[in-house]
Amino acid sequence: MHEIVANPAPQSDFSNIKCIEGFDRIRSEYSAYLCDESKLTPKPFDFLFFPKDEAELAAILCEMQRRKIHVTIAAARTGLVGGSVPSDGALVSLELLDQVQEVYFHAESNEWRVRAQTSVSLKSLETMLRFKQFPTLDQSTDAAVKRNLAQFKENAEHFFYPPDPTEMSASLGGSVVTNASGARTYRYGPTRAWVRGLRVYLANGEYLDIPRGKYFASPAGQFVVWTSKGEACNITIPDYAQPKTKSTAGLFAEPDMDLVDLFIGSEGVLGVVTSVEVALVKKEDKVSIIQFLDSDEQAVQLTLALRAEKRLQLDFLEFYSGNALNLLRNLQKTEPSTVGMPVIPDDAKSAIFIEMSFDPHAAQLDFSILEKVVASCGADLARSWAGYESRELDRFKVFRHMVPETINSILAERKKQYPGIHKLGTDMAVPDEHLEEIWALYKSRCDALGLEWAAFGHIGNNHIHVNIMPRNMDELEKGMQLYAEFAKKTVEFGGAVSAEHGIGKIKSHFLPLMFTPVQIQQMRNVKQALDPKGLLNPNNIFPAEVHA
Amino acid sequence: MKIVVCIKQVPEVTNVQVDPETGTLIREGVKSILNPFCEYALDHAVRLEQEFDDVSISVISMGPPQAKDALLRCLELGADEGILVTDRKFAGADSWVTALTLAEAIRLTVPDYDLILVGKQAIDGDTAQVGPEIAEILSLPQITYGIEVGLSSTRKQVRVKQEVERGYEVVEASLPALVTCSKGEVVRRAPSFLDVLNARKKPMRSVSADDLRIPAEELGLKGSFTQVVKVFPPPGKKCGRLLQNLETDQAAAEIFNFLKEKRFIE
Repeated sequence: MHEIVANPAPQSDFSNIKCIEGFDRIRSEYSAYLCDESKLTPKPFDFLFFPKDEAELAAILCEMQRRKIHVTIAAARTGLVGGSVPSDGALVSLELLDQVQEVYFHAESNEWRVRAQTSVSLKSLETMLRFKQFPTLDQSTDAAVKRNLAQFKENAEHFFYPPDPTEMSASLGGSVVTNASGARTYRYGPTRAWVRGLRVYLANGEYLDIPRGKYFASPAGQFVVWTSKGEACNITIPDYAQPKTKSTAGLFAEPDMDLVDLFIGSEGVLGVVTSVEVALVKKEDKVSIIQFLDSDEQAVQLTLALRAEKRLQLDFLEFYSGNALNLLRNLQKTEPSTVGMPVIPDDAKSAIFIEMSFDPHAAQLDFSILEKVVASCGADLARSWAGYESRELDRFKVFRHMVPETINSILAERKKQYPGIHKLGTDMAVPDEHLEEIWALYKSRCDALGLEWAAFGHIGNNHIHVNIMPRNMDELEKGMQLYAEFAKKTVEFGGAVSAEHGIGKIKSHFLPLMFTPVQIQQMRNVKQALDPKGLLNPNNIFPAEVHA
Repeated sequence: MKIVVCIKQVPEVTNVQVDPETGTLIREGVKSILNPFCEYALDHAVRLEQEFDDVSISVISMGPPQAKDALLRCLELGADEGILVTDRKFAGADSWVTALTLAEAIRLTVPDYDLILVGKQAIDGDTAQVGPEIAEILSLPQITYGIEVGLSSTRKQVRVKQEVERGYEVVEASLPALVTCSKGEVVRRAPSFLDVLNARKKPMRSVSADDLRIPAEELGLKGSFTQVVKVFPPPGKKCGRLLQNLETDQAAAEIFNFLKEKRFIE
């Protein structure tokens, strides 16, 4: 089925909705809403709304459409590409839509699922699942909801939601519209793989309930969305192929695609996600291992060897370059307790961070395959850190997050002298066969230009974040040119210019590297069909075409 | 030189949640860990082992069979052998009976010990009594709240930097002695994965009630002088006053007047 009928907009009195009016007031009293983690320079906008339910959201959308005012949507504002930073018009914060709605067993697919409003944070979802405590469900008056919850609690197993973007304060809905990924994407794939259904509000205030597996593109590559008034929105899905890597660049499109996938990763340009249904996975005990190595090149070789050994099922495969370890070493000298880990060994020139299943209660542990793979690359498991208690797993995770945090604080200092300076952090992924080449390029070019830089991240997915730290405006310029060079090479290798952060407003100029003008127009046509006035999240993915 | 480290397995309470109806700790999803203060004690033992020749570390714990996991963790972190003191007859022991049982188990398993290190307290019960009681039972000199532990060149004395109310003191005691350990500047160790694997091959002994020379009526709940009658959360603080739906200037004026009225400001 490729046709879907929208539900009418629920009714609510627009005049009762909490609204902060006027940029001066927003700037002085609600300054946190001016920007997100991208630190994009804010632009003036006129309204800040806080809808408390979907009906209020619908009323806002209807009114803004009537007045032809651009609407930018925000939730946790943790995005790194400025997706929730308004260019003008209105900002709608969905932070009050933060309730878990249901946890239930889906017998047909033999999996537990959670349905939740868009602003439930990944961290709170993780905590609720860990303790099997869902305060709003406990208080629910719906007998079916309570029965399902009781069944979930009675189950001896524990469950978790696999996607793990580093920033766990991100909202569930935000992670869906950016198709967020994280370290565990290596094993579990990005957010897309776990979404089982969405509720999406359209620019006209009507909404679609889209379960996965029900609406598929027609053989001609089309969807039809019928409004409740009987008007047809004809959507032709773009005909480009997806890169053979992680990618959050542009709208998702493939033959016979599921309608739900069109909205996942769409960065809010097609509709507003208010409710998300996701699948859960049985929790297993894990061990985290940080394996210290002699060089970055050895880390690349170990990555290739670990990936090639199919008997090893790693949850993630992460990377610290030698210069990233040096940043942490410097931090350890001044703030050892902040780092919270033992002194990084002097002879560690690089490191690989992996996580895999592990039964701490097993009488015998056989990790001979891992030992052999590590030894085959000239490395030694004795030069590692390992932890499996949940506090240890958390500690290791913090240690991973500390590299970008440290870089950000260094840049914040430099910004005092050079206000225009900023970090240049790549977010590109290439197909497996190009890992060695792209790493050699990253390293040789950064060094050749004498830039200060560090690299870390998802090497298992050939998705290394190279962070250039300009020391002056001249280096910023050099770094930006180098960034463009890396992007061009990534596309040549068949990779993605944005593997997990999205395009947002910051990276839209990279889109033409990956897509032809015709393909970008195809994306615009999809938006045009669903949002004819171009009001939703203007300037995300591609600059607004229709100016309200 | 033989060092004994007494350890306890405790619930991991960093993410503790309390049942709003019963007021009790929600154990669902809560795993058990090595008590952090015990880990600091072990850290001092491992430092001494690295600094001096011929040092061996035995870790000992009284608890249910699953307390073996905490001992295993110690073996990963550098201890040489684990001793699990476990028996149904030990159940319900208060701090005195725990100390009595551990002291007797130490006499039995490591009779020629030189130094006993313990965490200053467990993060579940927080009594901080077991360490000092073991010292009393074994008639040992004791130093509490240690954050640095060293040995004299002759290895006849232990030298400890201890926390006191106004700072630190460095004190010495003749060996054998007992030291309870606080956190200090310790950053918790991380074993290598090889350490984790090899820990499973280190010796682990088990001690039961029958192995000890303690009459049955002095063990567990029977022998305890104190009993937990009830566990309850402290009364919640009264709700503060929330200023809502006010303009910023009005809200600021309200707060100013309140602080002035209460004489927080002039």
